[in-house]
Amino acid sequence: MKIDVQSLDTFNRLAHEGAQEATASMAQMTGIDATVDVTKISLIDRADIGEELGAGSFVGVEFGFEGALSGDTVLVFERGQTEEIVESMMPGASTDDSMGQSAVQEVGNIMMSGFIDGWAEHLGASIEHTPPGYIEGEGAEILPDGPETGEHDQLFVFRSEIGWEGESVNFFIYMLPEYEPMAELMAEYAETDADAIPIEKLAVFNQMTQQGTERAAENVQQMSGIETEAEVSQISFVPIEDVPRQFGEETFVGTAVEFTGAPSGFLLVLFDEQSAITVAEGLMPVEMDSDELTEQHKMAIEELGNIMTSGFVDGWANVLQQSVDHTPPRLVHDMGRAIIDPLAAQLGQHQQHAFVIDSKMKTDEVEFESEIHALPNEQELREALDELDVERADKTDADAGQIF
Amino acid sequence: MKVYDGSQTEQATDSRPERIKVGIAEYEVTTETAELTTSGLGSCVGVALYHDPTNIAGLIHVMLPVADEMDDGKPAKFADTGTELLIDEMEAAGADAGELEAKIAGGSDMLDFSEGGSGIGDRNITQVRETLTAADIPIVGEDVGGDHGRSLRLETETGNLLVKSANREDQRL
Amino acid sequence: MAEVLIADDSEFMRNLLREILEENHTIVGEVENGVEAVEVFKEEKPDLVMMDIVMPIRDGIEATDEIKNTDPSANVIMCTSVGQEEKMKEAVKAGADGYITKPFQKPSVMEAIQDVVPS
Repeated sequence: MKIDVQSLDTFNRLAHEGAQEATASMAQMTGIDATVDVTKISLIDRADIGEELGAGSFVGVEFGFEGALSGDTVLVFERGQTEEIVESMMPGASTDDSMGQSAVQEVGNIMMSGFIDGWAEHLGASIEHTPPGYIEGEGAEILPDGPETGEHDQLFVFRSEIGWEGESVNFFIYMLPEYEPMAELMAEYAETDADAIPIEKLAVFNQMTQQGTERAAENVQQMSGIETEAEVSQISFVPIEDVPRQFGEETFVGTAVEFTGAPSGFLLVLFDEQSAITVAEGLMPVEMDSDELTEQHKMAIEELGNIMTSGFVDGWANVLQQSVDHTPPRLVHDMGRAIIDPLAAQLGQHQQHAFVIDSKMKTDEVEFESEIHALPNEQELREALDELDVERADKTDADAGQIF
Repeated sequence: MKVYDGSQTEQATDSRPERIKVGIAEYEVTTETAELTTSGLGSCVGVALYHDPTNIAGLIHVMLPVADEMDDGKPAKFADTGTELLIDEMEAAGADAGELEAKIAGGSDMLDFSEGGSGIGDRNITQVRETLTAADIPIVGEDVGGDHGRSLRLETETGNLLVKSANREDQRL
Repeated sequence: MAEVLIADDSEFMRNLLREILEENHTIVGEVENGVEAVEVFKEEKPDLVMMDIVMPIRDGIEATDEIKNTDPSANVIMCTSVGQEEKMKEAVKAGADGYITKPFQKPSVMEAIQDVVPS
């Protein structure tokens, strides 16, 4: 089964417009102006869905849908924000739990009906949905387990982040369709063979990326002694100008490289400032015990970024039996969005959309988190996927001992 | 209980002026008292236009220098078509194009991997200058280039453009 | 006791290698790119070069190739984060005598050196 950039774009837009409509109906009901920051379509491991919700407390609505597409759709608000919504609809109601709950349910119902209707209209088919159910919970736990996956236990997830003026992200819309019908539908919408993407290989690629992330996490552990786990790995599709939008103004420290080979592109390894200090302290032979990020810390981060970059891309090169070269790392220390913006712009000279590979690793022991983001050239990624021999997908390791 | 009938309800505004976010490849023009903000400019450029007599203000966040070959129906993405679009929209809102003033910020060359020639940040700035010059709009303030990111806030009451960076002092243009 | 030249663009890594090697060997130079590696090699004629691959100006594989052309008896161990089979083959072709992938443990570095320049 093959999809193409056109079909991905069609569905991404559909989800984005649906989210915009939902946001507009909320504005109508509550007077609260919010904007859809970004909508992305991601292929992701079922277990990793909702990771971006972190440990926050959420409330929202959930319902199932059936018809041209089947699955679940969910709208979640940060708990702190619901008060404002409820108050604006029914002053005084936010102190009353059951009234508050019913208000959230109603807002959610109206918002999501518009969302689903948009899909049905576009597909020219009917989509039935179940009555909305009120949900509450912490982080990803609030989301349903998700519908049927493909053989690789991955799902296509449509996800919109919606923000209030001047605030960070405040609510999320998820649409989790069953894998097979979604894949078939996207294949139907594919227009040409020329830029086709073999959908099954995308899932295999995702698993290879997961291994790359695990390797990078091992590298962190070996070098710093911090026990690190690979958390998430996903591939998303967005218009190129939306690539920087998933980042905020928070400051990050890390490295950027350009890589060349099959495919070429850019790769970022990022740490929030606290994590950067934590991991750099772990790397130093002598403890610095500094609360500030020093030049020594940065030097250590630069080399760690270099090693993590290799850990991440080597598996890919070995499976393809080609080499992927990368430039020496460039150290960055700036606002997240400003870091990724020049990379997206460089790709944007030749393509209107981008595949973004996002990985995350963290540890429970200490406050530590690290992210890897890869931005491959779209056409070269397609070609590389075409050449990918699925049978070799586990041949990510190279043994120097056998060659020397 | 508040009754809503499908018509837009205006919320009572608090003392803080309304903040309007301008995303990448987006623009906003306003005749109201507000703050137009855009964040995380790397090689991207923010162009602020201001019409002092009426306090009409506009802000655009462009990403790439020229639209010609990549034309994808998103004029606000490019320095040339985006700046032109913003000028048009300022006029449509009632500003006299002959009285507009511009302030620009961004166009850093951080993380530019292009070999030889000038990077995207530079080319974005050059293109914005060209388009503004062609429209006879003076640039009365700028904070461009360098190797750091910027966030912007345009105050419509004064036309002041506040430039924030991660590791530098704020600047007021 | 071997005379060793360290070529790596990361100061952090050069420090780390120096700490490990200084116990048993003499460091005759530390350089940041492939061009400097070739120059200092010609001047110092070290017993061993610890060579990174990804470096600015000139990478470690090209530098190894030139060093081996200048002096076929030179000993070069690649010491790199790159764990790609194709790169390892390129390194063999350039004449490298050993290959250590970062992050490394001290014993594996000692062992690799022992294999290439037995004490």
